[in-house]
Amino acid sequence: MEEKPFTTSSYREFLESGKIMANRCRSCGNVHLPPRPICPRCGGRSLEWMEIRGRGTLQAFTVIHVPPTRLKGRQPYATGIVKLEEGPSISGLILDVKRGEDIDIGVEAEAIIVREGDGLKLCFRLV
Amino acid sequence: MGLFRNVAVVGAGMTRFHNRIHAGKTGRDLFVEAVLEAVDSVDKGFELREAEAIFIGNYSSDCFEGQGHTAAMMADWLGLTPRASTRVEDACASSGVAINMATLAIASGAYDLVIVGGFEKMTEKGTEEATEILAMASDALYEVPVGFTFPGLYAAIATAHFKRYGSSWEELAAISIKNHRNGALNEKAHFQSDIMETARRLGERHNMTFKDELEFLRSPLNPFVAYPLRLFDCCPISDGASALVIASSDIAKKYTDTPIYIKGFGQASDTFSLHNREELTELRATRIAASQAYKMAGVSPEDIDLADVHDCFTIAEVLAVEDLGFFPKGQGGKAALEGRTSLDGEMPINPDGGLKAKGHPVGATGAAMAYEMFKQLRGEAGRRQVDDAEIGLTQNVGASGATVVVQVYGR
Repeated sequence: MEEKPFTTSSYREFLESGKIMANRCRSCGNVHLPPRPICPRCGGRSLEWMEIRGRGTLQAFTVIHVPPTRLKGRQPYATGIVKLEEGPSISGLILDVKRGEDIDIGVEAEAIIVREGDGLKLCFRLV
Repeated sequence: MGLFRNVAVVGAGMTRFHNRIHAGKTGRDLFVEAVLEAVDSVDKGFELREAEAIFIGNYSSDCFEGQGHTAAMMADWLGLTPRASTRVEDACASSGVAINMATLAIASGAYDLVIVGGFEKMTEKGTEEATEILAMASDALYEVPVGFTFPGLYAAIATAHFKRYGSSWEELAAISIKNHRNGALNEKAHFQSDIMETARRLGERHNMTFKDELEFLRSPLNPFVAYPLRLFDCCPISDGASALVIASSDIAKKYTDTPIYIKGFGQASDTFSLHNREELTELRATRIAASQAYKMAGVSPEDIDLADVHDCFTIAEVLAVEDLGFFPKGQGGKAALEGRTSLDGEMPINPDGGLKAKGHPVGATGAAMAYEMFKQLRGEAGRRQVDDAEIGLTQNVGASGATVVVQVYGR
């Protein structure tokens, strides 16, 4: 596992095995999700894999009523940005929410990896 | 940081921005139309063939029209081959960035006279497909697959801004009302009726009456696009083109007695995905691009008389007027609600109707903002003229703020 390069395909392979993997800069400690080859904070290139537990709080959200073509028929659906306990934030579909009035920033969220078609989607369930 | 030599706008033109009147025209038809108007606007006369190079902002004629390599195509259609022609793609900031590139090309001494502009022919596709194409300017791996659209990203920013500053959708509505009011005074605008007039017209069709704008904007006739943003918080999908003739300051007076100088400019990038930003309630790239432009122009926010800012969604105008330093953080929406950013307010914002009412053919937007400054600073803006307009600013944003370009114009 430690040998994998810090690429999109590595991130996807980890998701396939049920893991959300970030990487951490050995120089400044910054954590990156999705993983990337150069630390954007210090420019460091010495990085290590780090597993994300998937717990965090909702930082921003929306409920989409006009979807792009590929999500046609699914609206209204919620999507948002979750700040994870380990530091980084990530976008994900928010499951089981159809009205913006029903959710608020700051609520706790838990990540779930959902298979849709031939791809994997990072989703969150509010707890 | 200074330029080797200064640069001025000596002519400007644009098509009307609209979703229907350009049916049957192509991007090249629109761009040629805008360029010819810019050429004809030069006071002391200008032959298109005097232009030495072309810079064109265009986001995605590839997807919208199935036409790539549009810079060379436009050089040919303008009768300007073999001159260098360059396309700039920075999403919705494409022609704003093209202006910086063209300015640098003249400032370097490489050219004296350049055509710069932009175009987008968007309405060949339906709304859902256009939404999909526009979403390509955000992160196709980590934002789009989990359902984010452009309105969605700005809607998320709005929820964070509301939470942090106690700002509200009513403040956003005030921006929409103001910009439609301004658009009604602009013969080039996509929408040329104020919201009350629209409410009456739509109301008649649905047997509904509205006592004021807010009642209409809260009604089912203004449905959610991406909560908390409704239809009238979003700019329309428009076709259009815009163009400028720019010249080195050494020769500008040969073409007009009132050139409009590009006094300062800046450009900055930010994290590509919104979720990687440390702060969701500001566009850091706006602050940085603006500080560069202010420094080059030797001005501060208090010196700016009017501004065209990138209100692709009403919340974006809130961020812009705060991040440009016109109003304190959290106060941008209130400023609109209190009339401070109206045409007759202390700091008129988007006198041309903004993207909201003027329309947003994405590649054409940055140069259309420059067109407005050219008209305003020369006192030629007609019914929407801002009094004593001497220094104007434009702010043009790509996607959710991963690119921002700012220019300061003056007489």
